[in-house]
Formats: sequence, C-alpha cells, structure tokens
Amino acid sequence: MADADEDVIPRSGPMGEDTDLSDETQDFRFLAALSAEDAKLPKRGEKDFEPHATALQSNTLAASRLAMHTALSYQRIHQPKGHTVATYHPATNMAYAYNPRGPLFSKMGQVLSARDDPFGDDGKRGQRLWLLPEEVLYLIERGTLDVRWPSLEEDEGEFGLPMSLQGAYAMFLGEEETHDGALTFERYSVYTGLKRAGYTVLRAPTWNSPGLPPKENCYPPLLRRTWQTGLLDVSSFWKRLFATEGSGHASHDKPIIVPGLYRNYAEIYRRLALIDFHDPTAQRQPPVPENFTNDPDFRVTYHVWKPGSMTFKKSAPGTPDFRIAVVDARKTRVPSLEQLGDLLEASPYDPPREGAPFSQKLKNGYKNVILAVVDQGVTSYLRIADSAFGRERLYQRTFRGSGKRGGRGGGRGGRGRGR
Amino acid sequence: MAAPNTVSEPFPIFALAHKYLLYEPDVISHVRSKHNMTGVLIGGLPQAPQQNVFLGVPLELMPEEARLLVEKKAAFIVDDVQAHKKGFMSADGKGLSPEERTAYQSSLKEKGLAAASRAAKQTDDRKKAALSKLAATGDWNDIPEDMLQLGSRSTRQKKPKVRAPAPDIKTSGSATPATDEEDSLFSVPLPHRPSPSELSRTTSIASSAPTPYPVTPTTSYPPLQCGLRPPPPPPRSSSPSSSAPPSASSSPQRVPTPSKSELPLPAVPASYPLFKHMHDRDYFLAPGLRFGCQYMAYPGDPLRFHSHFLCNGMGWDDEFALLDIVGGGRLGTGVKKGFLIGGEEKAEGEREGCGAVRTFGIEWGGM
Repeated sequence: MADADEDVIPRSGPMGEDTDLSDETQDFRFLAALSAEDAKLPKRGEKDFEPHATALQSNTLAASRLAMHTALSYQRIHQPKGHTVATYHPATNMAYAYNPRGPLFSKMGQVLSARDDPFGDDGKRGQRLWLLPEEVLYLIERGTLDVRWPSLEEDEGEFGLPMSLQGAYAMFLGEEETHDGALTFERYSVYTGLKRAGYTVLRAPTWNSPGLPPKENCYPPLLRRTWQTGLLDVSSFWKRLFATEGSGHASHDKPIIVPGLYRNYAEIYRRLALIDFHDPTAQRQPPVPENFTNDPDFRVTYHVWKPGSMTFKKSAPGTPDFRIAVVDARKTRVPSLEQLGDLLEASPYDPPREGAPFSQKLKNGYKNVILAVVDQGVTSYLRIADSAFGRERLYQRTFRGSGKRGGRGGGRGGRGRGR
Repeated sequence: MAAPNTVSEPFPIFALAHKYLLYEPDVISHVRSKHNMTGVLIGGLPQAPQQNVFLGVPLELMPEEARLLVEKKAAFIVDDVQAHKKGFMSADGKGLSPEERTAYQSSLKEKGLAAASRAAKQTDDRKKAALSKLAATGDWNDIPEDMLQLGSRSTRQKKPKVRAPAPDIKTSGSATPATDEEDSLFSVPLPHRPSPSELSRTTSIASSAPTPYPVTPTTSYPPLQCGLRPPPPPPRSSSPSSSAPPSASSSPQRVPTPSKSELPLPAVPASYPLFKHMHDRDYFLAPGLRFGCQYMAYPGDPLRFHSHFLCNGMGWDDEFALLDIVGGGRLGTGVKKGFLIGGEEKAEGEREGCGAVRTFGIEWGGM
C-alpha cells in the first residue's frame, strides 16, 4: 500500500468541510492503521471505477472483506481491572451501576433524588448511577460496560445473565415505545456518532415534550451593553429615518425619491428600501406567554458541548455549544417555514460578533439550530440560522471599517465611487 | 483472522422499532458477498471507539433490502423484542430453562477464559519484544542476563512483519502495536520498561490457569432460539472460539417448521421496484441521502468501487418538475456519476409489481 501513504490527512485535526471520510465506505484494511497511535487514514479515491475481473482486484476485495469481517467479529472483553457491571431495570428501561469507575462516567449518568429513584432512598442511593438507554447502549457498544439482565432466583450470585449487544438493542431501543420513551434509532445514531467524535451530549429539555415557551434569553436583550451602544445607536437612527420615510411613501402622491441634491448613493438606496424584512433583533418577548406549540418532528433533541471543554460538569452543564434536532429523513418532509420558525423561536438569541465580516454575520445568523437528518443510519448535519439579510446593507458597507475585511471592502467601494 | 463461516439460509433478520438488523458477523459477510447487500453498519467498534469512519455491528438493512431477502426466501423476520422479553425476563418458566442458562453462562466463561489466556500471552509477547529491543539497542546494563533468553534475535527480526497486519485489531487500546518508527536506528525509548519482578508476575499468571474475563456477547442466539433456525451451527469452522459451543445448540424438536406466524413483510417505499430492478442487475445499493438521492448504485462492493449512479425511484405516472431533472443531472455530473430515475411501467389492468421497470440516465450535456 505504498500509494496509500501518499495522500494522507491527519486523523485528528480539523476535517476539511468537503472531505468527510465517513461519507463513503472505507476500506476496512485501514482500520489496523487507525488503531495504531498517530495513524493516518487514506484520502478517498483509492477505489476502482468498475469491476474488470482481474485476480488483483478480486483479491483486494477479498482482503478488504476479510478485514471487515475480522473487525466485526471483535469480542467485547472486560479487563478485570476496569470491569463495571450495570443491571437492567425493566420498569424504567434504564440501567444502574454502583460506583462506576472511568472517565466516561463524569459526563453521563445521574444519581437520582430520593423521590425519583425507583428504589427509593435505600442507603445505596448515593452510589447508584442511573444510565439512560442511549448511554447504556453506547457504553455497551464501546465495550466499557457489562450489563446484566435482572437476576432470577435460580441465578447464582448477585447479577443476572450478561446482556448481549443484541439484547441491549432489543431492550433499550425496541422497548422504548412501550415505555413512552422517545429514543429512536435516528436519535441514537446521532447520539452515538457525536459521542464517538468526542462531543458531550445531553438530552435537551424538549426531548419528549414541547418544552417551555421561549424564555427571555431567546430574545434580543433590551438593556444595551456598553460595547454595543455605538453601533446600535447608528442602526436605531436609521430606523427612525425609515419610519419617517415610510409614512411619506404611504401617501402615493410623491415620488419615492424626491428630486433634489443627493451627495451619495446610500441616501437613495435607503429611500428605495420599501419592503419589510424580518428583523431578528427587533423580536420582543410577548408579555403574556402565547400558547406555545411545536411539531414533535422538529424539536431540539440534544444539547451538545464541544470536546475538551474543561468546565463541563454534569450537575451544571452550562450553555451548550450546539443544539441539535434529530429528523428522520424517511418520515418527514422538508420543514415548513412554520416548523422552522417554531424551532428557531425557542432557541436562544445568539447574535453574530459585532464587526464580523458581512458574510460571516449572515452565516451565523441571530439564532441557530442544527438539524441532524438521518436516513437509514446515515446522518447529515444542516445548520439552520436566522440570518437578517435586511440588516446587512450592501450600500452601507463602506461606513463600517472596523474589521479588516470590512475595511478592504470599504476601500474598494470608495474607489468605485470616486471614478 | 477467522474466515467467515458459511451461513445456512434462511437466516433471521431481527426487527425492532421498525428497523431490520443483523448482528452475526458471519451473516453480515454472507449478505454482502452472496446477496450484494451492504446495509449500513451503525454500531461502534470497541477496538477503535473514538472515530466514525469505521463502524461495526449491528448492521441496519434498509426495509427494501429486508423485503427482498424475505421475498427470495433467504431470510425471515424475527421480533427481537418479544424474543428477548420472553427469553430473559419471564419468570413463569416460559423463558430459558435453567439448563440453557447454565449452558449460556459456561459458554461465556469459556470465551472469557480464552480471552484471559490470550491477553496473558500477549503481555508476554510484548515483554519479549521489548526485551529483545533493549538487547538490540545495546542498553545491556538494566537487564539481568537471563532475561535475554526470552527473546532471541530471530524473533526481533521477524517482529515487524508479524505485528503489522493481524493482532492490532484484536488487541484493543491496551496493547500499543509497534509502529515502523520503532525500528529505525535511533529508536524512541520505550515508555514502559518491564522490571524483572513484573515480568515474572505475568509469566506466572500465564502459566497458571487465568481467571475468565467477563465477556459481553454480540448476539443472543444462542441462548435464544428463533423458530426457524436450522439445527446445529455449521461444523465447518476453522476457529472453534467463534462458532457456537455445542452445549448450547438447539434441541431437535424446535427445528425448522416454517411457521406462518411470521411478521408481515417489511413496508417499503414507492421506490422499491427500482431498487429491485437495480439489485437484480447486480448493483449494490446504498442509502443516498448524503448525495441527494434515494440510492447510490455501485457496480460492485462499495468497499472497492466508486458508485456509478444516483438513483431516484418514481411512479410511472408521477409528475415532477423539470428542475428536478436538471438539478439531479447537475448534481450527478458534479460528482462524476450519472443521475438515474426509474419506475415501473404498468400496462392496463396489470397488478402492481408485475410491470417492467424502465430506467433513464441523465447527464449534464455541458454544450
């Protein structure tokens, strides 16, 4: 595989936006390289165009298949040293473990309060960590957790029979419906995909319910912070200007642009802006909470934190870095504006950095949510942002020269006008 | 590297929450090589848990694939939730019998024992390799003379070749396989140098009977048995550890009576005729969401080949926008694939599923 080493990308490090190795089936023979430390993965493009019935080709394919089979046949063995046993709890479709060890448990599982714990406050409650179905399944799959069936009388010892991976799928995913759980295959595959990528994932409050109506943090703050004052003042000044102009247009008896002396194009453009636009910064919280509903197919499912966040604590996770709504590609159609609107309305206000380049502001939007669209175990992530095109006025770009890029743009504009 | 065992048909497909799953690696390989179906691996690989490029068991079949396998009588559908509830959680004697439970446990114990001795042997091998490396680098002072007996020169020279392909997969994170850099002249110092006391401890463990490691099995069959399973597992197995232990093989009276109480055929989308048509022509079909279509059609195993077509199934009289064709054609051409639409042509009075499927390939002309 000499040629395989030529085009390599580092496994860790930022993935290019256009190359996602998991897009295509990769050759399992490279898995061995992956398990080794500091391994490199081949770039795509190592495949053939079509079968041409040569022994070389069929041998390579056979080798790949054999490597795949070997990889799949791996047996989950628990080292006695880090062996963690959990027990399945059929009534809640969860599992519990006593004092589980390992770094993974600092980010998953929870000790329930005496009121919520199905076993009540029985003295061992503080040591008992309850794991949600997706957490158990992920840990079993990872080979970290040894889950047992509830023990029957004839079983010797404290624990029941070991639960197989298949059994875990059957119970934790197959039984969710009868337990009124909301864990679906789609949700699980998003969860486990993100976990494998290193993110910290927790269920969102809207996991299984419409959730609370949008709170204060979903709307632009009313109090201006000092660092914002300047720019906002400028914009509100324009707004006032608009308001007066708008009333002028309504009369129909004047031309939009009254003949006169104009010193620059911006004034003319401003007068030409007749169409109302959606302004995310002008949204205000309704004084009386409206009857808040949202489509169950489009709800924020997970809160996600970036890998390597040192401040993350299970008890006080803080503001998530991303909000992800899982969507089943085979059951739902492209969301309507209303569905997207509901989804965005309930997500917190997250304005772009002031003075950021123009395109970046549009891309970031004022609120955003990520859709994870799952088709048969294949996930695509889409970021939906509430961007305000109306607020980013092209003709005004020359006025703000704070950012580097904005400055350059301004310079160009200036030259253009000068000619 | 154990070659896949042969799988006797019909094999079970496990249904739960409207999904169709396969767990047995042998079956997964079988479906891939004999039925040209890849499915999608959705589980994590415990040997490489922090990546999404290579995934593992279970394999999710598209409903189309499951349907086709059942229609070909190559497989049958099992309600896995019911099977597990009945087997493991009913206390009224309907579940596994005490004998089956003990058989299950002893089979697991056997596997665990094998794993434990394998692990012990691996530690041993690693020690030997490390010692021989020390010997080679000329750092003689730290090692007692007799330790050098463990690794001879020949082992050291062979090691890189032996190490590279196979054992990395079997050894999880615990073992750090040798990389090529280690064999360079100026080798990096070993992170962990075994002290003589440690070494003697591991060898003693290896020589005495090790305690079995706890094992989490991949499948539940055995101890569970699904109604149609043909009796004992095929004996043509090269590695005894991977096949089912004989103690757990099924009792003869439970053997194949193709019952009619099977689950209904998997519900499939309207694009099923196209799927079947393409599959009959030896194409491998994979879900195509990521490429903006319903199916990706590969001329052979996607492990080896690039796909040729982006396929969308349509009803024969469906109306669709011309823009769909333009968009699809552009998309396909952009990724060097053909855009293919197809549907079932139904003559008057014909039943569904009898008509011929016609396909149309669209490419961007670029005049």
